[in-house]
Amino acid sequence: MATIAVPLGGQAEGHQADAVQRPALSEYLRWSVDHKIIGVQYGVASFLFFIIGGAMAMLIRLELWTPELDVMVSGAAYNSLFTMHGTVMIFLFIIPMWAAFGNFVVPLQLGAKDMAFPWLNAFAFWLIPPAAIVVLLGYFVTPAEAGWTSYPPLSTLFSGDGQTLWALGAHLLGISSIMGSINFIVTIFNMRPPQMTLWRMPLLCWAVLATSIIAVMATPFLAGALTLLLLDRVAGTTFFDAAGGGDVLLWQNIFWFYSHPAVYIMVLPGMGVLSEVLSVHSRKPVFGYRMVGLSSMGIAFVGFTVWAHHMFTSLQPELRIPFMITTMIIAVPTGIKMFSWLGTIWGGKIRFTSAMLFALGFMSMFVIGGITGVMLAALPFDIHVHDTYFVVSHFHFVLFGGSVFAIYAALYHWFPKITGRMMNERLGRIHFAFTYFGFLFTFFPMHIVGMLGMPRRVAVYDEAFANWNQLISFSAFVLGFSTFIVIYNIIRSYYRGPVAGANPWRALTLEWATTSPPPVTNFADDPIPFEDPYGYGTEASVAYLNAVEAAFDGRENRTILD
Amino acid sequence: MEDNRSNTPSISPAAIVVAAVFIVVSAIGINWFTSFVPVVLPAQASAESKSVDELFYILVIIGGVVFFLIQGMLLISVIFFRARGDDRSDGPTYHGNPLLELVWTIIPSLVVVFLAVVSFNVWSQNSEPKAAVNMINGEEIAIKVTGARYAWTHTYETGQLDPDGDPIVINSGDALHTYIGQNVDLELRTQDVIHSYWVPAMRVKQDLLPGNPATGGRPTEIRFTPIRVDGAEYPATYPIVCAELCGDGHGRMRGTVVVYEDEQQFLEQFYDPAIHAILNPPADPVLRGEIIIQEYVCHSCHVLDSLGWTSRTGPSLNGIADRAGERVPGQSAEEYIVTSVWDAAAFVVPGYTEQMAQFGPDQPDTYQMDAEQLYSIVAYLCTQGEQSDCDLENSTTAIPEAIQTVFGLEVDITFGQGDDEATDAEV
Repeated sequence: MATIAVPLGGQAEGHQADAVQRPALSEYLRWSVDHKIIGVQYGVASFLFFIIGGAMAMLIRLELWTPELDVMVSGAAYNSLFTMHGTVMIFLFIIPMWAAFGNFVVPLQLGAKDMAFPWLNAFAFWLIPPAAIVVLLGYFVTPAEAGWTSYPPLSTLFSGDGQTLWALGAHLLGISSIMGSINFIVTIFNMRPPQMTLWRMPLLCWAVLATSIIAVMATPFLAGALTLLLLDRVAGTTFFDAAGGGDVLLWQNIFWFYSHPAVYIMVLPGMGVLSEVLSVHSRKPVFGYRMVGLSSMGIAFVGFTVWAHHMFTSLQPELRIPFMITTMIIAVPTGIKMFSWLGTIWGGKIRFTSAMLFALGFMSMFVIGGITGVMLAALPFDIHVHDTYFVVSHFHFVLFGGSVFAIYAALYHWFPKITGRMMNERLGRIHFAFTYFGFLFTFFPMHIVGMLGMPRRVAVYDEAFANWNQLISFSAFVLGFSTFIVIYNIIRSYYRGPVAGANPWRALTLEWATTSPPPVTNFADDPIPFEDPYGYGTEASVAYLNAVEAAFDGRENRTILD
Repeated sequence: MEDNRSNTPSISPAAIVVAAVFIVVSAIGINWFTSFVPVVLPAQASAESKSVDELFYILVIIGGVVFFLIQGMLLISVIFFRARGDDRSDGPTYHGNPLLELVWTIIPSLVVVFLAVVSFNVWSQNSEPKAAVNMINGEEIAIKVTGARYAWTHTYETGQLDPDGDPIVINSGDALHTYIGQNVDLELRTQDVIHSYWVPAMRVKQDLLPGNPATGGRPTEIRFTPIRVDGAEYPATYPIVCAELCGDGHGRMRGTVVVYEDEQQFLEQFYDPAIHAILNPPADPVLRGEIIIQEYVCHSCHVLDSLGWTSRTGPSLNGIADRAGERVPGQSAEEYIVTSVWDAAAFVVPGYTEQMAQFGPDQPDTYQMDAEQLYSIVAYLCTQGEQSDCDLENSTTAIPEAIQTVFGLEVDITFGQGDDEATDAEV
């Protein structure tokens, strides 16, 4: 092959040592303004909450093994259980988990030394532990039992102090989310290298940008709603109390004005991950790069106009049709992404790495969530399945089949960059098989029990649904078991995994053009990105990748120092 | 920089064969899936359910096409486009195809427009107000539903008057009685939190919203027309379910729609006997109490074997009369039960929380209970036990005295002049 001169910029300088130093574990336990440390802090904390929320899900499925109330002491105890499950998974797992990958990867992809506001970044993270303590402590007083949606008056006039703590904790998490998002927006707009125009930016950055814009615009509405809720609860106001001139639908409107866009806060970064992983592991450029980037913005924009579809059974009938139409429109940009990803892998040279398997699993499962999303948008059908297990199934296909599969894909993809060591691919494939089938058989049957007449959020149900629920619970336990495989894989690989080197996947984006893990300042000097972040298959890209390899991994003995 | 068509990946003939097979398989799959529909939806018991299910068919067919298309292309990709052996090379540098991108933007847009139009039509058809609603004996009457934690109460405002000039209102508890072809139009109100009235077999659902009682609350409306279900035996029953989380007993907040074959059967088996029972209440307060207690929401939280109640939110009422005398020092059994019905917070049974609603003459809607009704209910509860602590011999004086002592109210024990035998036979 012809030798092409490849300008790498300064990133190749300063790596003459044979070993890469990893941060000491104690670094992760204290205040740090290094985005990589903060990213891992976010990631490990979120993963712990994933385990807590998952354990709650297991208890929920244990209770639903039979149609009667037998595991939990009362219906109220069951209500507080799923309230905490939803709250933990959404506010303490998925949203901060994307902050984890965003924090670690985005500055590296931009060739930056850190986020724009490192101190703010750390502060945003350190709001999470106290917020989590407040929310979880609420479970041990008189727990919140109005669901994660906390509809008044159940959450105001009919519940205990745990609900107040829930609202306070959610408030803090909202503040954290706003600060993190402002940081991402400023970073992405200002800290790209001169060669990287917006249209040459990796798609994860596009997705994080769209996500952050949503979070900055929507989260203040959550703060407003929570403030009103707190005032009603502790200060005797009646914003949501009809007897005092308030209106219960006020909460539903404000809450969903935040919480529907929040669905995209949870899914869009996953879509960014998909674009990265599918392209790298099928060795082919992202199909229709511009449309993929723009569709993130399209989803973000239309996502603000659909909130009242959550209120189809409470909204005035004449207002329902417009929200049906906007909701259906969301399917179009989502479809663009789906087809573009298919176009990306079509004709490629697919490597079945664990990251790729989870990315393909995302496509396979998320499409079901997309189809049921359109079905739920169809107002007459929604009226039947609103607030049933059909809806539970739908949003788990979006948030588990979507977000969690993408989180796993991101984990397997960037773990080598974060720790310097590869994860065990064999365990990864086993993990994928358990997750994929456990997930499918947990959540697909829920569509059917929902349509047949099982409402959501019940501890007791009609005996006719008992067999379905046993299938669902059994599969849920399989899904729960699969988590242990990845936990073992993470811990084992952290200490024993093969050394990854700078660029184990031979990817073109900038995070791979430095050591794994990167040094404190990420790059020794300003790096020069390759002209096209997904330009696989050209001679220039091969030359660039070879140059990166030669610059970082040419030595005989690569070692990781702890 | 995008266009690089010379590198278009060539599609092998095998892929085309697979695609053809896929189309056939998906056609069979969709066909099989739609035949599955009756298994995944409840009986079609209302006119509305027909059109909703037709919409569901359309959604499933379109969804099925999308599903099989995407999964099929994924499958083809992972089979044909995997890197083989030691192939370390990259795929073709193919950045996109504007025409293709336009196609997969426009076709989904058209599908969305189509679905929106179809859904809108179904919606307009189903939500159109109907003439002649709630027809009984050739007249429209008001049927109202009250949701209170954790029970439904249905009341029929018959428009008739009893001999004292009071309107006759039938309370059928958690059962809605209707007949094939009746245009049902229910007015829904809640007494506490948001509930949602869902009849899966009718494909209808509507939330009950708390409103300001001073301005008449915030009634919502739900409409459906029962139709004949092939193979069903009449009167047929269908579940009513609460679909919006309302608290501890949410899962137990259920009811029944009873559909009669025609108006004749409806009148004979439900409506006329109900009016007769109201006009001729049993003279025995115990029998009266047994009827009255079932018109209230008590069953939603308490266990009482003799009436088939099973909910465990509140303490059990089995053998209540055996314990009533010892619960609160200084209170007789009658006084304790009287207090517990109207002012449950006065004594909370250990192991339970203060959740029970206030009942009384001044309470709203389904919590409204006058002293005479209280008297009958207490008389009935005093019989629930083996060695009742109540003074059963002299209940006609002991209970009114207890009500007098606790709440300072006089009880007119002479109400209810009916024929016990006759009423007993009909209930």
